[in-house]
Amino acid sequence: MSKIISVWLVGFMLLFVNQGLCAKKLSNKQLTIGISQEFENLNPLVKQMSATSYIYSLVGRSLVGMDADGKTSHQLAVTTPTLENSMAKFDGKGKNRTLKVDWEIKKNASWGDGKPVTGHDYKFTWKVAMTDTISISSRDAYENILDIVVNKANPKKFSIIYKSPKWNFNRRFAFYALPKHLEEAIYKKYKSKPGAYEKNSMYVSKPTHPGLYNGPYVINEVKLGSHVVVTQNKHFYGKAPKIKKIVLKLIPNTNTLEANLRSGNIDMISSLGLSFDQALALDKKVKKTDMGFDVKFKQSLTYEHIDLQLKNKILQDIQVRKALSIGIDKKGLVDALFEGKQYVAHHSFAPIDPWYTDNSKVVVKYKYSRRSAKKMLDKAGWKLSADGFRYKNGQKLAFTIMTTSGNKVRELVQVYLKDQWKKIGVDVQIKNEPARILFGETFRKSKYKAMIMYAWTSLPEESPKTTFHSEFIPTKSNSFTGNNSMNWKNKKVDAILEELDGEFDQNKRIKLAHQIINFYTDEIPVIPLYFRADVSVVPKKLSGYRLTGHSQLSTNHVENWSVE
Amino acid sequence: MSRVESKTMIQIIAGQFMEHRLGLLGAIVVVLFIVTALCAPVISKLSGHDPEAQNIYGRNLPPFSRVTLSQDAKEEALEKVLDANPVLVKKIIATFNKHKIITGGEDELFELLHTITPDQINQISNIDQEEAAKFRQIVGSFSKTHLLGTDELGRDLLIRLIYGTRVSIGIGIVVALAAMFIGLIIGSIAGYYGGVVDIVLSRIIDSLLSLPLLPLMIVLAAVDLKNIPFLHSLISGDNESIVKLFIILVLFSWMKVARLARGSILSIREHEFILAAKTLGAKDITIIITHIIPNIVAPLIVAISLNIGESILNEAALSFLGLGIQPPTPSWGNILFNALETINQNPILAIAPGILILLAVVSFNFIGDGLQDAIDPKAIKR
Amino acid sequence: MSNYIIRRLIQAFFVLIILSYLCFSILSLMPGDPVDVMITSNPKITKEDITRLKKLYGLDKPNYVRYFNWLTSALSGDLGYSRVYKIKVEKLLGERLINTFILSVCSLVMAVTIGIAIGVYAGMKKGSKFDYIVNFISYGLISMPSFWLAIVLIMIFSIWIPILPAGGTRTVGDNSIVGLTSILDRIRYLILPALSLASLQLGIFVRYARSAMIEALGNDYIRTAKAKGLGPSRILWNHAFRNALIPLITVVTLSLSGIFSGAIITETVFSYQGVGKLVYDSIIGNDFNVAMVSFMISVAMILTMNLLADILYGVVDPRISYK
Repeated sequence: MSKIISVWLVGFMLLFVNQGLCAKKLSNKQLTIGISQEFENLNPLVKQMSATSYIYSLVGRSLVGMDADGKTSHQLAVTTPTLENSMAKFDGKGKNRTLKVDWEIKKNASWGDGKPVTGHDYKFTWKVAMTDTISISSRDAYENILDIVVNKANPKKFSIIYKSPKWNFNRRFAFYALPKHLEEAIYKKYKSKPGAYEKNSMYVSKPTHPGLYNGPYVINEVKLGSHVVVTQNKHFYGKAPKIKKIVLKLIPNTNTLEANLRSGNIDMISSLGLSFDQALALDKKVKKTDMGFDVKFKQSLTYEHIDLQLKNKILQDIQVRKALSIGIDKKGLVDALFEGKQYVAHHSFAPIDPWYTDNSKVVVKYKYSRRSAKKMLDKAGWKLSADGFRYKNGQKLAFTIMTTSGNKVRELVQVYLKDQWKKIGVDVQIKNEPARILFGETFRKSKYKAMIMYAWTSLPEESPKTTFHSEFIPTKSNSFTGNNSMNWKNKKVDAILEELDGEFDQNKRIKLAHQIINFYTDEIPVIPLYFRADVSVVPKKLSGYRLTGHSQLSTNHVENWSVE
Repeated sequence: MSRVESKTMIQIIAGQFMEHRLGLLGAIVVVLFIVTALCAPVISKLSGHDPEAQNIYGRNLPPFSRVTLSQDAKEEALEKVLDANPVLVKKIIATFNKHKIITGGEDELFELLHTITPDQINQISNIDQEEAAKFRQIVGSFSKTHLLGTDELGRDLLIRLIYGTRVSIGIGIVVALAAMFIGLIIGSIAGYYGGVVDIVLSRIIDSLLSLPLLPLMIVLAAVDLKNIPFLHSLISGDNESIVKLFIILVLFSWMKVARLARGSILSIREHEFILAAKTLGAKDITIIITHIIPNIVAPLIVAISLNIGESILNEAALSFLGLGIQPPTPSWGNILFNALETINQNPILAIAPGILILLAVVSFNFIGDGLQDAIDPKAIKR
Repeated sequence: MSNYIIRRLIQAFFVLIILSYLCFSILSLMPGDPVDVMITSNPKITKEDITRLKKLYGLDKPNYVRYFNWLTSALSGDLGYSRVYKIKVEKLLGERLINTFILSVCSLVMAVTIGIAIGVYAGMKKGSKFDYIVNFISYGLISMPSFWLAIVLIMIFSIWIPILPAGGTRTVGDNSIVGLTSILDRIRYLILPALSLASLQLGIFVRYARSAMIEALGNDYIRTAKAKGLGPSRILWNHAFRNALIPLITVVTLSLSGIFSGAIITETVFSYQGVGKLVYDSIIGNDFNVAMVSFMISVAMILTMNLLADILYGVVDPRISYK
């Protein structure tokens, strides 16, 4: 007995001696970032997860990017081609009109093994993307391309020729190149077998090869589901990053993630980390006791809203939809639950989007008033009964609201809304499903009965065509493509959306967008709730860090970060 | 010869059980839990706390906080009084108009709730009339004490835990009973008939026992039970997640009872009294119910009490993985789950339900243990 | 004996095949295949994209065909690819299996040494205050939700008294950690998860050791040994303890079989890179191949451990023989 006890005691003592290893001072030598979302292998063509994008931006760059102010920044490209600077030119007329866009890659832009990045890499990437055996999720960005022509004399110059030109041709933020000199042989060997290329690509077999990356860092160590270590890329085209080494740790349990931050195991938490409620609580704590961190909030384009199922007989009555909107106190919600750090949404465009407007001539607003909501429902024939709920011809005014289970903030909002609607006599039942089922089945096939609460994120000036256009109502005949799950049909909106893509004049685009907003807010197929804020916890000593709020994440500017 | 007082079996077992101190303690705690669960609505009424009443301006408060109600709740409270008593409304409005506190009608009275100042309260208390007193009383009822503080929506933690007792212990008991029923039927069939029936059923039981439990529960929790036709009518929006949880838990907890029943029946089957019953022409079902089951009641009760504890733990585990009972219905598991994110700021929210789970499960285990000792013939002291 | 083992092994193999079909069907019950999920994460996907992708993943075929495809390739050694990480399942599993193994062995060693020592001691002093307290605590440990204990441990040892890391498997990105320090580093990360995983088993072992000891001490041969004048320590170790060992071995072996199920929650809370966490992630993320393989591994573990327990029983107790 005493032997066993002494063995345990010695063991524990050894560990505490060892403990000194753990405490390290934060410096430019190393920064450890915690994330809570999973990432996959770093092949930029087949990646899907936001965490992968977050990591990939540390090691790979696109032609152009978007900065935290929403402005286009040049990454690998020397400059942005526009119609004005004649680097983009139309050819032909009408339906056959094509657009030729000239790009030039920076002279010193090269892969981590010293080989230059050229137009050949882009042409190769396009070819891979268009191969049927590759499981790239959407080819939208590539299908429109007719050809890529590389300049023979200077392979740094190349032109992309588009079939049906769209105004956003020069916003190729996610066009990441594959290194042709490394991947072509693998591609040729496996291209005939389904799914074989991406499983055998060097991003899987030898992910630490520096030649795969052209960003400020290269991968030093990667373990899926656990961590990534990146170190400086000697061949980076831009200014060398100040931080020598970045370690990214995946800690899926957000509570453990926070505990890791507090115990000094990680230095900061990325925007793909804490839940909003947690961030609020931590923010208060951080301000009260000096822990050396700042909790940063940045208004984002992520739009939380409730889609209303327009196939639902009760919801087809616009008075009911309006009453539902008036019956909820969005301002109160945002102030109390989010302490004013997220923003009330009146429609789908965020305030940082050039298409945003607050003009009451354009936007139909629904001011919170429980009393007028009640009157409205009375008028629509829904009479209050003794049980506190409303009935019409024996039918109860009842809906189900669905969202992703396990998302605490959404569940919180849901319970809050349920309570508010109950007070105007509407019975709302909560039925949540895991994200995979909710989005994979219920939402995609528009199977929900009444309301579904979720968010989407976008870039500024992104056309909502796949969500608002009636052609994008998911049905069996179109294999359930499109996100118009509320079954919103408005011919005028359809026409405007079609016009929008081919409109090259920015001011005219804004006008068209405002028309959409008007229809959207007047017919309310969707109840807008709020725009989320991105949150991240960063050490006070870290400078140059900025949250972006859109899908081009903060790591796109990692070379500006430094510890002081 | 000395006279020995004769006791019935039940009396002996009860006497034995009373001597098992931990078992007795467990029984007392369980009874307390059940009484609290049954009295939940009464407690709610007496304390004035409602498990679903939110106050988003008083979120995550520490224990013993005193909070003023949200504007909405104030309005609602006033509305309730006014709706019930329209004459009083008119009187209040008339009086207030007279004293120049408000100048308009009903809407302004509601507005007053939001904007009322200490001055105005003073002014109202100076009015020596019944209506003003009533109004003061309404305003006075706007603040409440939360003994254990509030949760992430400003709901009273204590009353939610009390209501959670209903769900958590309720699920535990119902699941254990249902599992016993199913296990008894399948085990009896296997044990009584033997042969091929026994082999097939025993294999099924063995296979189910060798499946990894938690992963399977996770899979099943993700399946939409509404797709299964005969369940469709059972499930309505309100109770869907509870029914689902119940089915999943029952599905994986009947096997042990079945094994127990089968084993006991196998050994009893060959006894003379069964043979006698058979030759007298008793039906199989009668034999099983009247002769066999009474013989295995004792170990069955032990199995149930252990099963209840296990089901409570499983409910908590599934809720912890976000697959349990849907909000806003409170259960210990989901209160704990919801508290996890802010555990560093408001630990009581997570610690309290955890302790309750521990307490309940431990009590059921104590009871099981106590009963086991009590019915063990070797341990009977005479 | 060997005949018996072979027969049991063949039986186990068939049970494994049947269960694999069952698992396959249950996993296919879950709505939403990977393509469905892809579609919603990407609004720009077209109808053509979907047909192309469904064909690519073989999702257009009926369930039993997919099962036979899976089975034949699994039997020929190809476990397929993870849809989420897009790498081979073996590659994903390899190190995690080792990690889980380390975690389970550590927690088991902790539980067995402490549990049996305390249990035996309590059994010897039956009815004493010590026995009473031990009994009470072991019940508490059995009845504790394991995730709750894990969280409380993190709160105490990582935040209030920050001496242990709150989660992870090892310190990453520090090249100075090699040799002995790297082992110590691993152990530091192991303590909390192992402790929370061990607590449940600890409770069970204490209870079994205690009751086995009490039963063994009550046997007639102890009285005989005492009558023969043997010293108390010899009676205790040579006679009582050896007999108490028989049921204990079964319990310990059987507890090994529940490793994956038990580790799911612990590994999730501590973000420990093991199979348990992978099982959970693969089910939630519909990573079919990974879920299937890890399911099969855990079923196989349970079957082997059951067999092993039976065999060990025969080895320890000469009264039992297998034919």
